[in-house]
Amino acid sequence: MITLTNLSKIFRTELIETHALREVNLQVNEGEFAALTGPSGSGKSTLLNILGTLENFDSGDYLLDGKSVKGLSDAALSKLRNEKIGFIFQSFNLIKDFSIFDNIELPLRYRGLKASDRKQRIDQALELVGLHARRDYLPGQLSGGQQQRVAIARAIAGEPRILLADEPTGNLDSLMARQVMELLEQINQRGCTILMVTHDPEQARRAGRHIQIVDGQLHDSTLYQPLSQPLHQPLAAVQGA
Amino acid sequence: MDNLLHVFALAIRNIKRAPLPYLLTVLILSLGLGMFFSNATLYYWLNHDPLPHKSQTLFYPQINATLQPCDSCTEPLRVLSYQDVQKLSSSGIPSAQAAMFQSAGYARLPENTRQSPTPVALRITQRDFFTLFDVPFLHGERWADNSARRELILSKASAERFFGRTNVVGEALQLGNELYTITGVLDDWTMLPRLYDVANGLNSAQSADIYLPWETAYDLGIKSNTTTMSRDSRNYSDNFAVNGREGDFFQAQFWVQLDTADQVSAYRQFMQQLVQSEKEAGRHPRPEGNRLTNILDITEHFNARNRQLDAFALVSLLFLLVCLFNASHLSLNRYLASQYEFGLRRALGASRGQLQQLILADVAVNAAVALLLSLTVAMVAMALINHLLPATRNLTSWSPAMLFAMAATALAASYIVSLYPAIRASFGSLNRQLK
Amino acid sequence: MSLTLLFKSLLQRKVITILLLIQLMLTLALVSNSILLSQQAYTLSNQPTGLQLETTLAIELKPTDENLIVHPALGELIQRQLAELRKINGVRYAAFTNQTPLMFGGMNGDVFVPDHAETSSVDAVPYNYAEAGLFDALQMTLLHGRWLSAEDKNTDNVVLTEKLANRLFGQSHLALGQQISAGTVVGVVADMMYQRFASDQYYGLFFNRDLSRADYGYRLILQVESQAVAAVRQQINQSLRQVEPEIDIQHIVSLRQLHRDVFEQERGLAILLSVLSALMLLVAMISAYSHALFHGVQQQNEIGIKRALGASKRRILLEVLSESWLTTGIGVTLGLLASFLLQQQLATVISLPALPLWLPFAGALMLLFCVTAATWYPAAIATRVSPATATKAL
Repeated sequence: MITLTNLSKIFRTELIETHALREVNLQVNEGEFAALTGPSGSGKSTLLNILGTLENFDSGDYLLDGKSVKGLSDAALSKLRNEKIGFIFQSFNLIKDFSIFDNIELPLRYRGLKASDRKQRIDQALELVGLHARRDYLPGQLSGGQQQRVAIARAIAGEPRILLADEPTGNLDSLMARQVMELLEQINQRGCTILMVTHDPEQARRAGRHIQIVDGQLHDSTLYQPLSQPLHQPLAAVQGA
Repeated sequence: MDNLLHVFALAIRNIKRAPLPYLLTVLILSLGLGMFFSNATLYYWLNHDPLPHKSQTLFYPQINATLQPCDSCTEPLRVLSYQDVQKLSSSGIPSAQAAMFQSAGYARLPENTRQSPTPVALRITQRDFFTLFDVPFLHGERWADNSARRELILSKASAERFFGRTNVVGEALQLGNELYTITGVLDDWTMLPRLYDVANGLNSAQSADIYLPWETAYDLGIKSNTTTMSRDSRNYSDNFAVNGREGDFFQAQFWVQLDTADQVSAYRQFMQQLVQSEKEAGRHPRPEGNRLTNILDITEHFNARNRQLDAFALVSLLFLLVCLFNASHLSLNRYLASQYEFGLRRALGASRGQLQQLILADVAVNAAVALLLSLTVAMVAMALINHLLPATRNLTSWSPAMLFAMAATALAASYIVSLYPAIRASFGSLNRQLK
Repeated sequence: MSLTLLFKSLLQRKVITILLLIQLMLTLALVSNSILLSQQAYTLSNQPTGLQLETTLAIELKPTDENLIVHPALGELIQRQLAELRKINGVRYAAFTNQTPLMFGGMNGDVFVPDHAETSSVDAVPYNYAEAGLFDALQMTLLHGRWLSAEDKNTDNVVLTEKLANRLFGQSHLALGQQISAGTVVGVVADMMYQRFASDQYYGLFFNRDLSRADYGYRLILQVESQAVAAVRQQINQSLRQVEPEIDIQHIVSLRQLHRDVFEQERGLAILLSVLSALMLLVAMISAYSHALFHGVQQQNEIGIKRALGASKRRILLEVLSESWLTTGIGVTLGLLASFLLQQQLATVISLPALPLWLPFAGALMLLFCVTAATWYPAAIATRVSPATATKAL
């Protein structure tokens, strides 16, 4: 589903060139839950951003579902992001003036869904993260863990194929972090591919695959384990579980 | 002192850090203030009281004494005839009174016959003119009485123009074909608005160059070069000394000084009795139309307001308002951008009072820059207005008091503009800003 | 972006929004009234004048020697001056008159039909004392009867303008041969714009008479070949001085200049208000610009999030623009009302026609255009926010 071949990313200033990623090769298959670890500055966030098409790369290629993202227009990339990729950030990145409902609705609007469809999906997503009763709250009125669950609801409401999570539990205490992890595992079992940057070795172990980055180079230390679950289970089925 | 310097240094550093928003804010503020100042200047010179200590006592009497019968003509003419002036002067009630009109002539030094003469603006008037309007003398004095005499009074500028010096009392000057002795030289004098000549719509014209006795003008056939009206069939091109004095020839303004309320009512009564006896004598065929108008009401009375300037004043006030709103909006943005720094300062222990000091320093620097810029804008705007409405040309000077008022306005405006934004920025919740 | 969300975000910035709305409202009010005034000034100064504005020159002069301002010395001086002026290349006709068309003030008098003195009286009609040559010098058009000739010299025979003849006799041709208070009507000429502030700007009476005195000076009118106007103007001074040095030449102007001066007040105010309107539009643009720029910075994070969630640059641009369109739309709606209110206020001070409905709408479109233009650049910058950096920030 994701194929990176010889992908490099260089940050240039007037004085220095920094190789954020060097000749990276990576293959991620559908349904995987991969943890990305590495010391800070190793390039893991850059990799995640490139996977999410938020950032360009300098050389090599990135195939998403067999198609290269190279040279796609801004509109095409935006559409790709909107339909196939969900993001979860360390700092939640909810829009603070918008209610929970409005926040989740945003990517669905971008997709051009009808109001009734949007509402149905938002309701389902909120049920899944257990915050249905808070749909009209503003993000500021929720705890950090709740906010992150809203962010997850927002990421999955559009039923993306891939979820990219950048230290999703970094700002949370351990109890809340565990809840969020369980939620992600649940989503992964439903068939959604997840790539997660983390510092927590425990979390890295829980993921099916562990990829380490050091100095912009990958060290794949965990063997690929095939999934036991069927692919693309409907959301409702996960909710029931 | 050290603290003061510190806050000003900070204010200036704030500007340097974000020069564009700052410049835009001050630019907009200055545009608004500048347009407003230019207009306020013209408006002030057209509408302020030129003689605050005595304006209450100066009045313009009119009677409806035209000899042509007309039952529907209830409003007296704007200007008076020689006869009107004679009659209205006979009361003995006012403490000063003078008739006057404007004319023009050509003057030269008597020995200088080869050179062509210089056009001069004349005011034909009586001796009390100089008392009525507090006209200052530099040399010499006004005429001894109101009889005809070949004596004239010069403005300071004219004395310098013809003689190159000011003390020229006793010198001779030729006006037209006549020789006159100079008996007085005025000090610099301009009365703005020139309320004594509003009947001719000349409220912003220059003062005259030469003052000539009233009776002499009638003797020599010198007439007004502004409004003249005749209401009979006499030939006023001929024998003006007689026709002008006896006929229905209207050209004069007439002012009386009535110091007390009693004098005013006595003068009103006198006018009534005068009209009554004139009616009995068959010399007042039209309906009674006595008017006694105070000098401060004269512009309205003659419907001589500059409507264009009034309209522009209204609009420039709106413009100032828009600019204030706009500058406030911009400065809110500017303050919100520095909210973080405000928060940080408070976290470091600055009191709200100290922050207020910072803001006030900012306001003071703003006001100073805005004042300079707005004066420039005002000068450009006034040049444009003068160009488009030449009647406003004499109305553009700034007195120290006006400059002070403008500085105060600039300060107030920049305070208002910064007030709300500053409150927003400095009173916002601390933890939210620093998070 | 949905309208409800836009409204919500406006409501959250109450003060800024109100400031912006008031400003837009006043701007539109001023812009539409300036257009109205300009339109009025334009209409006024495009009324027919019946005159050759470009090729007619008027000279205003007065002898400085008092012996010369009285008849017959005066008449003799005038004829010598005219003879000298006619010698200038390009001068077609030259004549004297006691007053110039389009000039403020002059010699005016009442006119009435003696049999109907009460009903027919017209006051403040310009009386022209001139000579037969004025007809050509002003390029008049004869409508009825005849123009003044040498036989009419110093008689009461008079020529009227058409509008005055209509006013006195209902139909202009009926005036011929009639007696009016000023004399016997021998002809009617087409209307010319004489004194704007007389009873009517097209009224005028013409006599063939000598000037008995020139206390107020006199005027010489020249009709000039169109290509020679500038050259003639330059020679006038010298020619006149040659004839007699003891004169004060007060003005040499074309009727075009006088015509401009007649409507100076209206034109001046219209220009001033237009300048002010332009400044207001500029201020509105600066405001829209800085608003968009500032919010671009403030909302970097938000825009980054939206980009990550799949909003294209176009979409973000549209969002920023539509926010400014919404504010402008509301401001402009209020401004339509304010336009009419300001028109009412101005009409109490100066004469102003009613505001046609299309005008404030046209102003609104202009304002919308300016605001959009000013928002475009900062909005485009806002879309360039790197979503990767923006979502990391905070």
